[in-house]
Amino acid sequence: MLKVENVVKVFNKGSVNEKTALDHISFFQKKGEFVTIIGSNGAGKSTFLNAIAGNFPCDSGSISIGSRNVTKLPQYTRAEYISRVFQDPMSGTAASMTIEENLIMAFRRGEKRRLRLAIKDKDRDFFCQELSKLGLGLENRLTTKVSLLSGGQRQALTLLMATFKEPELLLLDEHTAALDPKTAEKVLQLTCEVTKGRTLTTLMITHNLDHALNIGDRTIMMHEGRIVLDIEGEERKNVTIANLLEMFERASGAQLHTDRVLFS
Amino acid sequence: MSSLVVLGTMEQGLMYAIMVLGVYLTFRILDYADLSVDGSFTLGAATAASLITAGYNPWFATLAAFVVGSLAGVFTGILHTKFKITPLLSGILTMTALYSINLRVMGKANISLLRTRTIFSDFTSIPLFEKYGVLILSLITVAIIGILTYIFLETEFGLALRATGDNELMIRSLGVNTDIMKITGLALSNGLVAFSGSYVAQNQLFADISMGIGMIIIGLASVIIGEVLIGTTSIGRTVFAVLCGGVIYRYIIAFVLQLGLVATDLKLVTALIVIFALVSPGIKKKIALPGKNE
Ligand SMILES: Nc1ncnc2c1ncn2[C@@H]1O[C@H](COP(=O)(O)OP(=O)(O)O)[C@@H](O)[C@H]1O
Ligand SMILES: [Mg+2]
Repeated sequence: MLKVENVVKVFNKGSVNEKTALDHISFFQKKGEFVTIIGSNGAGKSTFLNAIAGNFPCDSGSISIGSRNVTKLPQYTRAEYISRVFQDPMSGTAASMTIEENLIMAFRRGEKRRLRLAIKDKDRDFFCQELSKLGLGLENRLTTKVSLLSGGQRQALTLLMATFKEPELLLLDEHTAALDPKTAEKVLQLTCEVTKGRTLTTLMITHNLDHALNIGDRTIMMHEGRIVLDIEGEERKNVTIANLLEMFERASGAQLHTDRVLFS
Repeated sequence: MSSLVVLGTMEQGLMYAIMVLGVYLTFRILDYADLSVDGSFTLGAATAASLITAGYNPWFATLAAFVVGSLAGVFTGILHTKFKITPLLSGILTMTALYSINLRVMGKANISLLRTRTIFSDFTSIPLFEKYGVLILSLITVAIIGILTYIFLETEFGLALRATGDNELMIRSLGVNTDIMKITGLALSNGLVAFSGSYVAQNQLFADISMGIGMIIIGLASVIIGEVLIGTTSIGRTVFAVLCGGVIYRYIIAFVLQLGLVATDLKLVTALIVIFALVSPGIKKKIALPGKNE
């Protein structure tokens, strides 16, 4: 389903700040597979997702989604297949626009935007139904501006926007990291609900090793632009967090650094 | 104020309100500080006046003003999106280039439209419309343009345009080519500004090379006045607000003139209005001023 082959990305090439963020990375993901990604700060996790989404052209290598080679496609054309949720709750929604306007824009992801009235009554019924699944009471606030919502509400809304028109690939970049623990748990639970029972192929970056091991089917660990560990199935089931840290040190020759909570 | 001044100010206010709506589309909807406006306002006036004196139908000339104004906006948009020039500089470049182009279009620094046929002379020659013809035509135009703009901003395309100004990263990840959105927004904005210029020229019966100077600040002042006085709770209300802002601004200016200030002081007054809005905390909270200082 997702095939990343030998992708290299160097930032600020030729300057003193040159940084190889992705170092000949190769990765294959089956359809419907849920992969969690861990690694120190600066390991290249976000850059990896950005490369897949097409935020920038890669220096070399190729990326395909399904049978399509998307390496040269700009970000806005890849949007037909890819949905994203970012860490910052502000980044996934348009604050000055209403909940229903945000929803309809997401519902038209990857489609041509026409000169026809954006929202019809039957869309509103559908939105109410979908919003009520979040259990946040947003179904009664369709015409509320998103700027009036809390971070957790915005992130839940973003998650709904990312999934209710099913993408082929869902990219989550520490999407619960900026939320308070209770809200984070709720949004994570929603993540499991929306991805379960569907054939959503998902990549989720997390700094929480417990989540990394217990959510999804497979875990990869990144370090200095490479994938240094890739575990799934029985092996993954039997791994504890202590094992994982040990494996990381062996694979990378460094200590796993994240300046946030590892165990929670 | 005499009733004649009240009427004249209303007529002018409505014509300038079209320009204000254009400024709103860039400054607010796209969050793009576009300074092309000074040039495209004159461009509209110059184009219409030249075509009319060359014998073309004034309605055609007015439409042509909109089209060339849009092209100026496209030019600014391409400078910014394709060549990565900052919004401010792109606008200044277009404005500067337009100064020469406007002189070429007119062939001289000003063109008189005295005793020529204009859209207004067409309208005031309708029986019973002698006195209020200018007002009625301006009102109809503003109403149509305001409603069309409102509907446009509620379409799928309009939503994408608004999101481009609000959260470009997000709308691009939803599959919208934001470069196209910016170019389209700038084209519409400058088209409206030039259209407004052609109305003003036909009303005052001349086009002048310097008539667009300071237009961007007038537009901004009007947008702020409208937003503060009428509010921005919904998109329809905001469109209405900025149109009213354009009219109210003209009344403020007319009032200031009555107080004894001369016309050459007006740019100072306008700048002071904008500065006041920018530094006054109460107003600042109520409206999001350009430059993302929310
Ligand atoms: N747009 C950019 N320009 C320059 N350097 C970047 C850019 N994006 C990321 N980097 C660098 O690439 C490295 C990997 O960053 P990132 O992928 O964000 O790491 P993380 O694993 O924490 O998500 C970091 O050293 C970062 O500074
Ligand atoms: Mg990151």
